[in-house]
Amino acid sequence: MQSDKTLLLEVDHPDARACRMAIAPFAELERSPEHVHTYRLTPLGLWNARAAGHDAESVVDSLIRFSRYPVPNALLVDVAETMDRYGRLQLLNDPVHGLVLRGLDKIVLVEVAKSKKLAGMLGARVDDETILVHPSERGRLKQALLKLGWPAEDLAGYVDGEAHDISLRQEGWTLRSYQQEAVDGFWAGGSGVVVLPCGAGKTLVGAAAMATASATTLILVTNTVAGRQWKRELVARTSLTEEEIGEYSGERKEIRPVTIATYQVLTARRGGAFTHLDLFGARDWGLVIYDEVHLLPAPIFRFTADLQARRRLGLTATLVREDGREGDVFSLIGPKRYDAPWKDIEAQGWIAPAECVEVRVTLTEAERMTYAVTDAEERYRVAATARTKLPVVRALVDKHPGEQILVIGAYIDQLHELGEYLDAPILQGSTTNKERERLFDAFRDGSLKTLVISKVGNFSIDLPEAAVAIQVSGTFGSRQEEAQRLGRVLRPKADGRQAHFYTVVSRDTIDTEYAAHRQRFLAEQGYAYTIVDADDVLGPPLPQID
Amino acid sequence: MATTFADQLRALSDEALGALIQLRPDLVVPLPADISALAVRAQSRGSVARCLDGLDEFTLRILDAARLSRSAETALTSMAAILELAAGVQADDVRVAVDRLRVRFLLHGTEDALQVTGAVDEVTSPYPAGLGRPADYLEPQTAALVADKARLRRTVLAAAPAARAVLDRLAAGPPIGALSRDTMAEPVRWLVEQHVLVPITEAGRAPRPDGELVELPREVGILLRRETGPLGELRPFPPLPETTPRDPKSVDSAGTGQVMEAVRSAEALLEALAAEPAPVLRAGGLGVRDLRRLSRSAGLDEPGAALLLEIVYAAGLLGEADAHGSSRSVTVSRAGAPVDEIFLPTGAYDLWRALSIAQRWHTLVRAWLSMTRLPGLVGGRDDRDRPINALAPEAERAGAPQARREALLVLADLAPGAAPSADEVLELLSWQAPRRARGREASHRDALAGGALLGVTAIGALTSYARLILEDPDEGDESDPLGVRAAAAQQTSDSVRLLDGLLPAPVDHVLVQADLSVVVPGPPEPELAAELDVVAEPESAGGASVFRVTPASVRRALDVGYTANDLHALFKRRSRTPVPQTLTYMIDDAARRHGGLRTGSAGSYLRSDDEALIAEVLADKRLIPLALRQIAPTVLVSPSPTSRLLSQLRDAGFAPVAEDAGGAAVLARPKVRRAPTRTSLAARLADQAGPPVLAGPRLAGVVEQIRRGDIATRAARRAPVTVRAANGQSTTGLSSVQRHGEAMAVLQQAVRERARVWVGYVDSHGATLSRLVRPVSLSAGYLRAEDERTETLHTFALHRITAAVPEEE
Repeated sequence: MQSDKTLLLEVDHPDARACRMAIAPFAELERSPEHVHTYRLTPLGLWNARAAGHDAESVVDSLIRFSRYPVPNALLVDVAETMDRYGRLQLLNDPVHGLVLRGLDKIVLVEVAKSKKLAGMLGARVDDETILVHPSERGRLKQALLKLGWPAEDLAGYVDGEAHDISLRQEGWTLRSYQQEAVDGFWAGGSGVVVLPCGAGKTLVGAAAMATASATTLILVTNTVAGRQWKRELVARTSLTEEEIGEYSGERKEIRPVTIATYQVLTARRGGAFTHLDLFGARDWGLVIYDEVHLLPAPIFRFTADLQARRRLGLTATLVREDGREGDVFSLIGPKRYDAPWKDIEAQGWIAPAECVEVRVTLTEAERMTYAVTDAEERYRVAATARTKLPVVRALVDKHPGEQILVIGAYIDQLHELGEYLDAPILQGSTTNKERERLFDAFRDGSLKTLVISKVGNFSIDLPEAAVAIQVSGTFGSRQEEAQRLGRVLRPKADGRQAHFYTVVSRDTIDTEYAAHRQRFLAEQGYAYTIVDADDVLGPPLPQID
Repeated sequence: MATTFADQLRALSDEALGALIQLRPDLVVPLPADISALAVRAQSRGSVARCLDGLDEFTLRILDAARLSRSAETALTSMAAILELAAGVQADDVRVAVDRLRVRFLLHGTEDALQVTGAVDEVTSPYPAGLGRPADYLEPQTAALVADKARLRRTVLAAAPAARAVLDRLAAGPPIGALSRDTMAEPVRWLVEQHVLVPITEAGRAPRPDGELVELPREVGILLRRETGPLGELRPFPPLPETTPRDPKSVDSAGTGQVMEAVRSAEALLEALAAEPAPVLRAGGLGVRDLRRLSRSAGLDEPGAALLLEIVYAAGLLGEADAHGSSRSVTVSRAGAPVDEIFLPTGAYDLWRALSIAQRWHTLVRAWLSMTRLPGLVGGRDDRDRPINALAPEAERAGAPQARREALLVLADLAPGAAPSADEVLELLSWQAPRRARGREASHRDALAGGALLGVTAIGALTSYARLILEDPDEGDESDPLGVRAAAAQQTSDSVRLLDGLLPAPVDHVLVQADLSVVVPGPPEPELAAELDVVAEPESAGGASVFRVTPASVRRALDVGYTANDLHALFKRRSRTPVPQTLTYMIDDAARRHGGLRTGSAGSYLRSDDEALIAEVLADKRLIPLALRQIAPTVLVSPSPTSRLLSQLRDAGFAPVAEDAGGAAVLARPKVRRAPTRTSLAARLADQAGPPVLAGPRLAGVVEQIRRGDIATRAARRAPVTVRAANGQSTTGLSSVQRHGEAMAVLQQAVRERARVWVGYVDSHGATLSRLVRPVSLSAGYLRAEDERTETLHTFALHRITAAVPEEE
């Protein structure tokens, strides 16, 4: 236990497992490198634990019991005081007045009622302990109370929505134990986010949640391709038929008992107004599933605030949001209900083990000179798209004959160069959906070995047999992007082969600095990470370029 | 009373006299000449008050009982009378208390004829035990009421609930109540009408601004206290805390955690000050913004940071330094003004840092216990509503160490693990010495808060190692300073040893992980800490500490002289886990780039595109004194200045050309020495000799001005005698009043006729002047007149005008 409220867990300690079980309810896993995992105590985490029925005494007890060193008195006091703040206010469904805010502690109720931040959310005062709440403000009120440090216990419950029979068809497969735990955790909590690595079967968690809810479901996904995959999975794994699943996208506008909509179509505006918002009210949805919740666009947050009475499930591989709005995800969709370190799931054999290798190429004199005189804004592009990378990529591709290889980049010009150089098709933003599916099918059945993709491939494409990923350029060392790209190769391989994840960077340039961010992120997730020189990959003699 | 106070003292055995002196040590400072002098001192207000300050609540109550039970005639009381009043408690307890008073000579005489020492009445409340004065002392009707016991009881029972509440409040004491100015509330009016309450005016004091006073007579008070006894509720023993005691082991464990935290925070604060010293405010102390910055950087709240800063200052680890003596050339406060003094860690800080955690903690705690500061005041406002800053003189309180000790001794007196709440501690303190505890609540609370922050207490109870520090006997201080000091040192070392045993053992290894974080799984050894300080950035601290190796930190290590191999060896030696390949790679990468650019200073350089020429110069023996050094195939540098380099090269037969900073060749024409340029004397003469050339109009103006001035001067010489005389001695025989009146008449006429007048007046410096003017107006005590010579309008105060005479044409 550290004074900055982080917890360090020695993984190799015999009690590590028991300790992890004990602290998981209230501490957030922050980093999980090979020896010492870091957890963090946050007010949010403590309140969530309180919501899940853990009291301060038990939290303090776990801290003392598993701490190797004496825990400072002040921290224990702080934990107890923080947890004590939860539940002083309750959101209730009053049989007479409808939704009300009840204060078990009058002073706190008076304090929050006076706050300017809550202006307009609270209605008339019923008595000393009760204030009316406009049902539409439920989400925003909870958010605001959280910011004030007096989180309300939401006991108002959920509407069941329109019932619709859905069941899992477990033929030849079963729900994995952690998937079941995730669904149970979600259902017990009512709403929340499930964090699972890419390839760990988040779609199935969603399907299982739908089966548990047995109600009409709205599924929000990032793009059409991802939506079709959901549909395919649902048809294959559940009792749902093609006809019961609607697609609500730029191309089609179907509303069926289970509707899959893209973020893009929901946030599309016509004349400044969101035109597709009616979808939320089109049916009495019993469950709303947010796929890739870390990408949830800001407008959807606002709509979500109005959906507080419905069960909400967020699915993601990482809660890291580059815009730092994790807190909003928690307060609007719900707290994190399940989370397992990637390495744990890998150890269970559900995702492929991966080796991350950073290959540093040395720029030629000419390239170094070009880089040296480039403006700061252009430097990354110059460094990332250095032609010197091409032979290295070729060498890496050659190293894995017969394996499915993805080459990922951010700059279209570079991708075209690569495509020509490797003689591989290119998938980019302008590629039509039809062409995309054709390429994917070819890749899936093995007739296509190497595919060059742009940033569009970052999200939700299911390429089961990709065993090697080579990234040549990215979005400024974005950790979220890294997680997604890694996810591309983590789908379990038929023969249990190891996955390879290569990053080609230019030495002594800003490219290296961004790579350092990614390296830290991957190492924190517990992946083996090595750095090699391009010469080791290419081997002598040096190839002649041009 | 047959014997006097002095006689009784004289009759004491040596032991009893010794006991008295031990209990009231102030009696012998300075040493009294004889017993009479001792007696006088023992009855003095100051000494009696000091003695009373140290007595507990019960003993004071018994003293009150003695005062109450004095007979009106003889002013004597007896043990029996006291026992009767304190019937509610064990007689033995009362006897013990009476004995305590007698040993201290606050009561003296025999058991049957006890006398209360004179000064006691002067320094204690006029209402012993919170009871008012007897009724016959106050009002005859009330005396009559009180005399009839049955009637009194009936009257009290007849009181309405509101009136009864008033009575009960007064009965609990003090027996005096204030009324608001005009309106006597109904219940009170009723009580006064029934003569249960007596309106009084406070003797010897100014009438209270907020209204009248009423007093509850003693007899009524005693009647109302039927249930508790006449003295009110008596507590012969200190109130016991009700909170459940903690397990002493978990107390020590939590305390030890806090000890590490406190030491670490203190160090973090000082390090933050070392990195960015804070200016000392003009009025002394540390500015609010600096405190905020420091508390943030140390991860503390502001009161905690203020407390630790006060402690490290008291411990001599923090001091003021001259801002200009520091390595930074100018230290500027945040407001932008240069400052004279800054707060910096002292040399003692470096010594302190080398100590073990337990020793470091002891330094802090000893400083805390003895510092005459009340850190709780910091952040508040003083009497004049000015904010009190940390380390500012306003937070000085001489009584702070004693208050701190008192509060902690309360905990020390309880069984290990007892964890009374702050309120319970204050309650205990107010029982132990009510007179002293009054007004010290803030100090006591401050002490408890400070103790918790330092790990002296944990989860409300005193830790075992802190108990050892507190256990040195207070009384011994003066009698045997040498022995006590030795004993204190002994206790300290015991405590350090105990704490050392509780603290986790320092570790000498780390865990290095692939994300380049370095985890020290415990408090690091000083040597390891020093190494990590250089090669890694601290990220999180506590029981264990987390560092991170970054390219910058590796570069820093390379800068201080580590080589890549040293770093590899360091991590290999210290790490329990295999050193990750990424770290190795990063160190090599940083080492490869380290020193890629070199810098240095030289007096001059010599460059040439011709490498052979450079080689030739370098090989030339005649140029050895220039100490040329080749830093590139085409560049040589020398510590000598350019001029010397040039001349020596030329002497050696080379043909160098000098360059300026921009690289352009400097033309080197031989320079001849010259004095600074001055203006030619001839030119100046010519200028003066030449006739000034003036343009026509300007010339005319000049002439006109001269003429007008000339006229005025001559006119002034012709100023009438009267005016000049009025300004000087009076020769006309007129009084000054007459002359003034005459002058006014002249002026009024002149205004009408717009005639010119000689005016004599006294100016603001007292000088007398005269002036020829043309009056314009005469009003509001001022004369406004035009002076034609200077073409200005003058204003004269009439009272300054001494004379006025029309101009004679």
